Amino acid sequence: MNKEYMIELKDITKEFKVLNRREGLKGSFQDLFSRDYKIVRAVDHISLSVKPGEIVGFLGPNGAGKSTTIKMMTGVLEPTSGELLVNGRIPYKNRTQNSQEIGVVFGQRSQLWWALPLIESFKLLKDIYQIPQDEYDGMMELYGKLVNFDEILHKPVRQMSLGQRTLSDILATFLHNPKVVFLDEPTIGLDVAMKSKIRELILELNKQKHTTVILTTHDMGDVDALCERIVIIDKGKMLYDNDIAHLRKFFGAYRTLKIRPRENIGVMVEELAKELETMDVRISHDNEWVFLLVNEEKTSVLKVLGRIQEKHKIKDMQLEEISTEDVIKKIYKEGI
Amino acid sequence: MNRLKKYFALTRAGIIECVNYRMALVVMVFGNLLYLTLIYFVWKAIFASSGSDVVNGMTFESTMIYLVLATALFNFMEMYIVWEMGRDIQSGKIALNLLKPMKYKDYLFWSVSGSFVVNFVFTFIPTFLIVMLVTKGTIAIGINLIYFIIAVVLAVIINYEIDFIIGTVCLYTESIWGINVMKQAVVALLSGATIPLAFFPDKLRAVIAYLPFRAIYDTPLTILLSHNPDTGMVAEKMLVSFAWAVVMSLISNLFWRISIKQVTVNGG
Repeated sequence: MNKEYMIELKDITKEFKVLNRREGLKGSFQDLFSRDYKIVRAVDHISLSVKPGEIVGFLGPNGAGKSTTIKMMTGVLEPTSGELLVNGRIPYKNRTQNSQEIGVVFGQRSQLWWALPLIESFKLLKDIYQIPQDEYDGMMELYGKLVNFDEILHKPVRQMSLGQRTLSDILATFLHNPKVVFLDEPTIGLDVAMKSKIRELILELNKQKHTTVILTTHDMGDVDALCERIVIIDKGKMLYDNDIAHLRKFFGAYRTLKIRPRENIGVMVEELAKELETMDVRISHDNEWVFLLVNEEKTSVLKVLGRIQEKHKIKDMQLEEISTEDVIKKIYKEGI
Repeated sequence: MNRLKKYFALTRAGIIECVNYRMALVVMVFGNLLYLTLIYFVWKAIFASSGSDVVNGMTFESTMIYLVLATALFNFMEMYIVWEMGRDIQSGKIALNLLKPMKYKDYLFWSVSGSFVVNFVFTFIPTFLIVMLVTKGTIAIGINLIYFIIAVVLAVIINYEIDFIIGTVCLYTESIWGINVMKQAVVALLSGATIPLAFFPDKLRAVIAYLPFRAIYDTPLTILLSHNPDTGMVAEKMLVSFAWAVVMSLISNLFWRISIKQVTVNGG
């Protein structure tokens, strides 16, 4: 395999064996002795090469196989078939040694010591990863420049806000200067200000330390802010692997207008379909909201809103970026 | 030395973590006292109903000393490893811990080692001192203390290996409660933690002699409470404990390797 790549996946497939569960009390007892397994393919023939220093975003809806792919790259899971090299090693074969050179943040699960102030967690990681004193000091100095360190450094992790904890977790992950960092949904559950803070931090650490970063998300904003290169996965299959500029044509000019009407939602959707027929708007709805996907190159959101308000009363409205699911739908429909 | 440093760093963090939960410490000491009061009255009743001062070769006083020390030992030996592993597995946190640059088994052991130290200092030593003062002279001070410490180290290892084996079962069952309760009951009974082994029927005692459990409580306490222990007897007991520590460690390593392979292949 090629040396210039930090990560190489060739035809990686991962299958899980899942017990076919039956219903009811009787079924549960039958399950105790059941050998009736079905094979679920979570990752389906994915190939990918990542160069050192790249930031690659894995985008996809829940259950698409992003986390499974990440877990294979970290060595927690073993691929069913295919070749996989990270940093020149097969990750699952020498997990303990391998972990010295990678860093992982799994969503909202913290690797920090709950009851200890952050600084103690850092000291602990310094000893566990055997980070030399000068490197540690250098890293702390860098962190001091990048984030407002004083307010979190002596705070026990359990007293931190979710945003502070995520920030701390990311700092902890970069502490031993790993060659590759895997971030599984790093901005999940955070508010807008914190999201942008986290994104800036990741970008800066990537630049300063030349760390390869693999991140999964279903937030288009993350991808837009961080990644030069996007991989979209849906139902285990790779749908898209290209740069962000190319992807923008799928989501760049699109906004989702969410409207909560005062009247019956079903009736309103039917009427809107007729009223907005000329405006190239895609309409869908759930129990509470009507979603209007607006192409701003053709019609402005304000125009659409104006048209709606001519006939309908609106209780509440929101404007959102296009969702990952919509991007994927559009890719399926229109091709790349 | 550098290799050890990363382990001791975990011990240190564990100690800080433990001491942070002040109330938990107080509750533990108090609960301990409550339990001791309970067994005092239970055994008082047993001896009263037997009608003689010596039952199965043990006086009321020697039974009480044994049980009080067994309880103190239990308090720092029981580290709830099975819980810890079960929680790790159920919550998926195990993925993070597998990615630490040391073996999961070592990582877990050294993570809880801090509370070993804290509990030893805060419950075992005070209890031991009180027993020694109250019973003036029943506990010999001499070479038996050193033998005792070696026996306790072996006991800690055997106990941890058993816990780790049971914890590994959680990888398959994904539930902890029942298995853990069963393990606790079996270990507490067969190790002599709740009832001195002298009170067991001969046949059961013969079986227990071939099991690893007695090395956890019976062996260290027997050695501690004997006056001028016979070197041959001590050596034999230690050798048996040592052999069990090695055997259990091999079993738990093997079982873990097979099981974790199962997880990484079939997913968890």
